[in-house]
Amino acid sequence: MKEINLTVNGKKHRIKIDENMRLIDLLREKLNLLGTKEGCGEGECGACSIIMDGEVVTSCLVMAFQAESADIITIEGLEKEDGTLHPIQQAFLDEGATQCGFCTPGMILSAKALLDKNPRPTRVEIKEGISGNLCRCTGYNKIVDAIEKAAILLEKGGN
Amino acid sequence: MKKEEIKLKLNVVGKNIIRVDGLSKVTGRAVYPQDIYMDNMLYGKTLRSDKPHANIKVDISEGEKVEGVVKILTAKDVPGHNYHGVLFKDHEVLCETRVRRIGDPIAFIVAETEEAAEEAMDKINVEYEELDGVFDPIEAMKKGAPKVHEDGNIVYHYKIRKGNVEDAFKECDVIAETEYKTHMVEHAFLQPEAGIAYVDDDGMIIVVASTQYPHFDQLEVAEAMGIPTEKVRIINPAVGGAFGGREDITLQIHLAMAAKATGRPVKCTYSREESFVAHCKRHPMVMKCKTGADKNGKLLAMEAEIVGDTGAYASWAINVLRKAGVHITGPYEIPNVKVDSYAVYTNNPFAGAMRGFGATQVPIAHEQQMDILAEKLDMDPMTIRMKNMFKLGSETATGQILEESVPLDRCIQEVEKVMNFTQGKKGGERE
Ligand code: FES
Ligand code: FES
Repeated sequence: MKEINLTVNGKKHRIKIDENMRLIDLLREKLNLLGTKEGCGEGECGACSIIMDGEVVTSCLVMAFQAESADIITIEGLEKEDGTLHPIQQAFLDEGATQCGFCTPGMILSAKALLDKNPRPTRVEIKEGISGNLCRCTGYNKIVDAIEKAAILLEKGGN
Repeated sequence: MKKEEIKLKLNVVGKNIIRVDGLSKVTGRAVYPQDIYMDNMLYGKTLRSDKPHANIKVDISEGEKVEGVVKILTAKDVPGHNYHGVLFKDHEVLCETRVRRIGDPIAFIVAETEEAAEEAMDKINVEYEELDGVFDPIEAMKKGAPKVHEDGNIVYHYKIRKGNVEDAFKECDVIAETEYKTHMVEHAFLQPEAGIAYVDDDGMIIVVASTQYPHFDQLEVAEAMGIPTEKVRIINPAVGGAFGGREDITLQIHLAMAAKATGRPVKCTYSREESFVAHCKRHPMVMKCKTGADKNGKLLAMEAEIVGDTGAYASWAINVLRKAGVHITGPYEIPNVKVDSYAVYTNNPFAGAMRGFGATQVPIAHEQQMDILAEKLDMDPMTIRMKNMFKLGSETATGQILEESVPLDRCIQEVEKVMNFTQGKKGGERE
């Protein structure tokens, strides 16, 4: 057993963890943040993507203890308190960029990390930005459309 | 009714509609079975065969000693019929004396933690007496090939006989004769199989699992449990993709048995690796095609033999190989056709439904046949297609008259605008 401090979606936590626990298990099982999905457990699919200190990481490949003092954003941290969707979420909804939805949280977080650094990416840059996230349903085009649209929404300053 | 009048009545067609479940998915709130946690729940793990064909003896005694193990289910614990399958009941819920493929389920371990279940899995002793296997469907059709199931390896033979191909080939100026092979394909839906089952206060068995066929699952769970269907409820929460890969039973019956045997909720989540071995694949096919045309490029005859490898279980093989047989002529009018399409058992991973249901494999053959014929005739690939394609009123190889929308010509012309197939060849002939 080990105790770590970390911030998740703006909230500070002090949590007891097992040494062999993965970050995805901490999020899902200790904090009940079930929007982070496990598609492969091997760093291949990106379904478990979260943002850790500004970078996208696959939470199935990060050990929980490595998140000591980290600042983490999961899909649950994107909506405003009043339930207003984040512009990326709104764009995914409007563009039909989610089908089965299992890739969606990871995909949206990869998009966020991209747009935070590069507010007006080209389509090629968007494709690179989500290259670590597999989607078996959509064929990606609508996802790229949604991220393009989100960039415009964000530039206009919100929803 | 006039066109405009119809249009006024359409509220959905032609419009962008927001998915009913879109909001739950973009917020991460959609509940897939792996997201369900119940009080007092146990975890299940499946011990699977690592040999493709063998007689087995299973000894669970060492596994039962592992701390935290509550129950290990084997074939003898199946309360009703130890079988399932969408068309033929050729799968065993848990294999009793013989395994027919790598990945066949042998035991289902139920424990307080996943770790305990895994430890017990390693301790279960399976004695394999390996049998000759057959891994090539063409070999499997021969007399004397190892039998995957008692009734022989040929599951299904579909025939089309139209006109007289023998006579028609004599009239042909060009003939293309080629063998094509396609490979197995995995669906890789993003959410691996998962489920949770429990028994409610009225004794109803409830299985929550992502599935394409809740009503079928209900029937199969009831038969295996030996109880009436009204005692089984299947709940289908969010499904993380399927593409045909969730049409067969995987963990549903195991979970129902475990919940009944322990009286506690039991959850099971497959790893990606287990998901790969647990569900069906797209049928690999061997397609021998002979297609003939006259000197103007008009198709006169086609003869085809298709052999689909359905692996150890039939699943939807009949529908898939029938569909392949129906579609092997492509979207073309051919007056003389002879098709034989077979589904064959082997000891390979089993094949079933996957996007297209047999119609996906055959274009690889019929379209290359068209290209070969075009080349032999020194004709461009578009012209030969335009000359033969289905239009309104065409008769298919199975005798169907196409009476409604057949806009293939328009589609090909649009493609031509971008691809310029006819460039350099005037009117289909080289300049
Ligand atoms: S679950 Fe982490 S990358 Fe697939
Ligand atoms: S929506 Fe199903 S995997 Fe992307």
